[in-house]
Amino acid sequence: MPNRFVRLPAFVAIGLLVGAACGGSSSGASEKPTKVEIAVEAPWAKFAGDPISGQLYGFQEVIKLANAAGGVHGTPIQGLVWDDNFDPATAATVQAQGLDDPYFLGLIGPSNSVTSLGTMQTLQAHSISFISWFATNPKVTDSGYSVAHRVCSRDDTEAPASARFMVSKGAKRIEVLASRQDQTQGLADALVGWLKTNAPDVVVQRDTVQNGQSDYSTIITKIKAFNPDWIYFSADDNVEVPPLATQLRQAGFTIGKNLNWMGSDGQFDPALITKSQGAWEGAYVPNVFPDPTSVPSAQSMVAHMKADYGADFIDTKAGPWWGAVAEATQILIQAIQRSPVKNGKISREDVLYHLNHDTFDTLFGPVKFDSKGDVAGAGVYMFQAKGSVMSYLGPISLS
Amino acid sequence: MDPITLALQQTVNGLTLGSLYALIALGLALIFGVLEMLHFAHGEVYMIGGFAAVGVAAVLLGVHGVTIPPILVVGVMFIAAMAIASVLGVAIERVAYRPVRNLDRLAPIITGIGVSYILRNIAQMKSGGLWVPVQASALVPQTNLHIGSISAPFMAVVLIVVSLFLMLALDAFVFRTTLGAAIRATAQDREAAGFIGINIEQVIFVTFILASALAGASGALFALRYGGLDSQIGFLILIKGFAATVIGGIGNLRGAMFGGLLLGVLESLVGGFISTAFQDTFVFVLVIVVLLIRPWGLFGERPLERA
Repeated sequence: MPNRFVRLPAFVAIGLLVGAACGGSSSGASEKPTKVEIAVEAPWAKFAGDPISGQLYGFQEVIKLANAAGGVHGTPIQGLVWDDNFDPATAATVQAQGLDDPYFLGLIGPSNSVTSLGTMQTLQAHSISFISWFATNPKVTDSGYSVAHRVCSRDDTEAPASARFMVSKGAKRIEVLASRQDQTQGLADALVGWLKTNAPDVVVQRDTVQNGQSDYSTIITKIKAFNPDWIYFSADDNVEVPPLATQLRQAGFTIGKNLNWMGSDGQFDPALITKSQGAWEGAYVPNVFPDPTSVPSAQSMVAHMKADYGADFIDTKAGPWWGAVAEATQILIQAIQRSPVKNGKISREDVLYHLNHDTFDTLFGPVKFDSKGDVAGAGVYMFQAKGSVMSYLGPISLS
Repeated sequence: MDPITLALQQTVNGLTLGSLYALIALGLALIFGVLEMLHFAHGEVYMIGGFAAVGVAAVLLGVHGVTIPPILVVGVMFIAAMAIASVLGVAIERVAYRPVRNLDRLAPIITGIGVSYILRNIAQMKSGGLWVPVQASALVPQTNLHIGSISAPFMAVVLIVVSLFLMLALDAFVFRTTLGAAIRATAQDREAAGFIGINIEQVIFVTFILASALAGASGALFALRYGGLDSQIGFLILIKGFAATVIGGIGNLRGAMFGGLLLGVLESLVGGFISTAFQDTFVFVLVIVVLLIRPWGLFGERPLERA
C-alpha cells in the first residue's frame, strides 16, 4: 500500500513533465511558432505611384523593425503583398492563398471599402482578422463581422467634418458633386444631411458625375448659373479631378479666390496640382488619419522611414497613408505576439480575441477598437494643396 | 441665365461631346458596314491614339533650348495619333478578327472584347490608372469665344470644326471615290463584290485604316480639349458610340454622324434641365425607344420583306 502512495505522485510528476515537453503548455511564451504570415492588400498596380508605394513601405518597415526585435517569439514575420486591383472578385482570389494556410494570421487591408465589403464574409468564415486603413464606408464595421477592423475614421464622420469646416469658413452656397459610386454618393448624402440639420441657411445644388467623366461643360454651365462660393466634390477615382479643375478655371473660377474646393479623402494626392496644371492649387482635402510627420509620438517611425526611403520621399511624396498602414501593422503584430503558441501554431481565434479586447501601442499612441472594430475617437484632419505638396492644416473639430 | 440662353449654352456644350461620339460612331459604322461585326476594341484604339498624341507633345515640349511652334507640335500630335491608331487598328484586324472572321458571329465579338481588355489593362498599368496631363495651355489658346451670352472654350470650337471636317471628308471619300464605292459595294454584299473583282482584303484594310485614323484623331482632340486623358476613356466612349450608331442606323455613316451629335446635345440638355444623375439612363432609354419605333435607326433603310 505505501508503495502505491509513492508511485502515484511520481507518475503524475512524470506525466506533467512529458506533457510540457510535448507542447502541452498553454502559456506559449517560451514556444516558437513554426511560421508567421500576414499580408497587406491594396490595388498596388492600379494606383501605382509614390503614395501607394509609401503605404507598402509602411507595412514593410513595421515588419522589419518587429523582426529586428525578435519577431513573434523568435520567429520572423513574413509579410505577403496581395494586389486586389480594387475589385472584390480579384480580392477574393488573392485572399484564397491565405484561407487554408494555418500560419496565415491576419490581413492589413483590404485598403478600400468595396473590396472589404466584398470579402469580409469569407474572411469571417475563416476567422481571418483584417484591419483596413482606408475603408471608410460605415458598413464595413456596422455589418457585425467580428474580424472587421479599421484604423481610419468613417464616412459618417468625414462628411460632417467637411461640412463643418466649410461653414466655419463662411460657406453660403455649395455645389455638391459626387461621382456615381456608393461611397462617394454616401459621403455627399451625409454632407447634405448635416447641412440641412445644422446650417439650414446654406443653399445647396447637387449634381452627379459619371465615373471617369472628362467633359464638365454641362455641369459648369449649371455651376455658373448657381454661382456658388464652395464646391464639394466627392470622388474616389482621381481621374475626374484634373479635368474638372482645369475646366472650372477656363470658365472663370479660380480655386481659393472666387471658388473654394473641398474634396473627399480619396483626393489626397499632390500630383493632382500638376495634373490640373495648377488649377487645383488651394483645394482643401480632409483625411481620415493624421499626417505622421506632424505627430510627436510618430517621430521615431518617421525617422526609420526617412532613413530607409529618403527624407524627401517621406516629406513630400508619400503622403500620410503610410502612417495608417504602419499603425494597422503594429496592432496586428502585437495581437499575434500576445497570442499563445500551441504545437508551433498560433490560432486566428486567439489573434482575433486580442484585437477585440486589448489596447495597442502604435506610432499615433494607444489604440483600442470598440465593439464594432472602429477606433474610438478616430479624427478627421484637414490638408490643403499648396505648391507641390498637401500642406497639413490640423485636425477638424468634430463637435 | 434665362432658360433659352441656358438651352443654347447646353446645346453648344453637347455639340462638343457629340462630335467625339460621332467620330467614334463613324468608325464603328464603317467597320460594321463592311464586316458586319461590332469592333469592341475601337474605344481602345481611340484611347491609344490619344496617348500617342500626349506622348509626342511631352517629347516635343520637353526638348530643352528648342522652341517648336505650337501649331507644329499639334500637327505632329495628330499625325502620330492617326498613324499609331491606324497601325493598331490593322493589327487588331489581322490578329483578332481575320482568323475568326468566317466562324460563328460571336467569335469576333469575344476576341474584340479580349483585345479591348488587354489594351486597357496595359494602358492602366503604364499610367497607374491616373489622369495623364498634356500641357494644353502651351499648345492651344485657353481663351473662350463668345457669341452674345453663349461662350465656348477655343478648343471646344476647334474640336467641333475639325470633327465636322473629318466627317465630311470621310463622307466624300466613301461616296465620291472609287475606293469608297468599293467599300460601299462590299458593305452591300461582300460575296458579290468579290465576284466583280473588288479586292475584299484591301477594302477591309482601308476600312480599318480609315476608322482607326478617325479614332486616333478623336483621341488627340480629346487630349487637347480636356488637357489630358486616362486609360478608361475608350470604354466610356465606346458605349456612347454604339448608342449613336443604333440611333442613326447601324452601318449607316450619315446616321452615325447624326446619332452622335444628337446624343451629345440631348445628353447635355438632360443634364442641364433634368438631372446630371440621369444622363446615361436617358441615353439608353432613347436607344430603346428608337429600336421600338424604328429598329433600323433614324437614317437606316427599312429592310425589304421577302415575298
